Amino acid sequence: MKKPTLIAFVAGSLLIIFAVLPLLAGLGYALLYSLGLAGTLGKGFTLENYVQLFSRNNVIGTFVYTIILSIISLSLCIFISLLITLKFQRFFSRGIMSYLVSLPLSFPAIVGAFFFFQFLSSAGLLARIFYQAGFISSITQFPNLINDKWSIGIIATQTFLSCPFFILLFVNIYRNERINEYLHLSYTLGAPKLKAAFTVAIPVMLKKALPTLLLYFIFKLGAYEIPLLLGRSTPETISVMAVRKLQRFNLADIPQGYAVAVLYAIVVALLLIVFFKINRQLHEA
Amino acid sequence: MKHSLKYVALSVIAFICTMPLIILLLLSFSKFWQFPNIFPRIFTTENWADLFVGNNNILRSFSLSAGIALPVAFISTIMGFITANFMANHKKRNQLLLLTYFPFALSPVIFAVCLRFYFIKSGLAGSYLGVAAAQLIITFPYCVIFFISFFNERIKQYGHLVNTLGGNNFYAFKKAILPAAKPFFAVCFFQCFLISWFEYGLTSIIGYGKIQTLTVTVFQYISEANIFQAALSCCLLIIPPVILLWVNKKILLQQAH
Repeated sequence: MKKPTLIAFVAGSLLIIFAVLPLLAGLGYALLYSLGLAGTLGKGFTLENYVQLFSRNNVIGTFVYTIILSIISLSLCIFISLLITLKFQRFFSRGIMSYLVSLPLSFPAIVGAFFFFQFLSSAGLLARIFYQAGFISSITQFPNLINDKWSIGIIATQTFLSCPFFILLFVNIYRNERINEYLHLSYTLGAPKLKAAFTVAIPVMLKKALPTLLLYFIFKLGAYEIPLLLGRSTPETISVMAVRKLQRFNLADIPQGYAVAVLYAIVVALLLIVFFKINRQLHEA
Repeated sequence: MKHSLKYVALSVIAFICTMPLIILLLLSFSKFWQFPNIFPRIFTTENWADLFVGNNNILRSFSLSAGIALPVAFISTIMGFITANFMANHKKRNQLLLLTYFPFALSPVIFAVCLRFYFIKSGLAGSYLGVAAAQLIITFPYCVIFFISFFNERIKQYGHLVNTLGGNNFYAFKKAILPAAKPFFAVCFFQCFLISWFEYGLTSIIGYGKIQTLTVTVFQYISEANIFQAALSCCLLIIPPVILLWVNKKILLQQAH
């Protein structure tokens, strides 16, 4: 039998200490707390926290809202990025545009949220421009774009921060997969430009980017700073709901906060399994 | 006509990408921005000059953020490289990789509230060491995922080639694998630095408000509606990543795919 080397021992220990152990310990504690088996309020096994979460706290609404928000902002990102890639890919693969487009990548979420608050709020820059242009005559006439019913502020910020990454990703796929050559072949065979884009370029780019898109969707589900600053108190996103319940002075809310964390972890685990399956299929293909 | 439309569209994209930085810089050099004025009434260097007067809160936060992000990025890059090398050759590689992806994919703020209990019990909550350790839990899995793609068949074959030519494992590592990994080290370090530098949720939960990193300070100024100080802090938050991002852009592009 092969003896484990010192490096293998160190690497295995690092993996356990910094990845496996925190994961099991954190989620294990959250699960036990939510089931009444840990914490100061724990009085033995109960599903009461989950029942209350589903019956009174509209946790399904929170999950659906977060998923819809993520889907909308991701779809907008994909649409804009594909459009820009197909139209202008040669400008973004090198030169000044490739540098300028990567600028928003250096914006943390909190800065993006702050900027969009200053830009879209009723006393923000856009409202001031509208006022000076004579489109509105008072601050109240400007539509609510921050902390609003349709979450426009959140969607705009998430789209702005994510688009550059997808533009760079699609431009890279376009180049590596030689999509330009496929498109020229399609034109030679008589395909109109739009049809060639929809039947050749877009399917190839989306298929190649699918694992990254799914991973990005998982990250979006856990977004915290942007919904916290630009969202409303109801509906709220999963992270905001979990943290709000866990940070409250009402001790009865804490087990429910952990229950939200457990439910969220289950959703992430399921999505990760899908991600791994897609990734494997793509590698085998 | 068609040609000029293309350049108009490109100019609009360039404007959208640069506008936030310009506006934040403008606000950081301003005072009094009352509705309905488009531009602030007073432009001043006072906010920036104040950075270097006395024990400035923003500059302290900037130093603290750098003091956390640099060691976190360095340590996690080294640890990630060692662990990825081990995992790449492991027979249960995929299962281990799934376990590594999980903490990385979880929302840091939710992960932090789940781990807070242990940080309080160990006395690490509200301390520099606690925040750095918590950030390592996020950056380390990222590094492993990053480096696992590096240890592919080609790299393994380099090692085997050195072995075939008479070199031992250490020699193969030193002369074949390490030189090939150099650019990956730079990108991984940079990415981890960014993860740590941008981190807010986890830092505020584990730091208990006592560890005032730049992101925590920005949030504080936003809560106080102090937009000029918030804009200044935002600029300081953006400038180091902008420099690093431009330096690393070419390698980053290859990694994005």
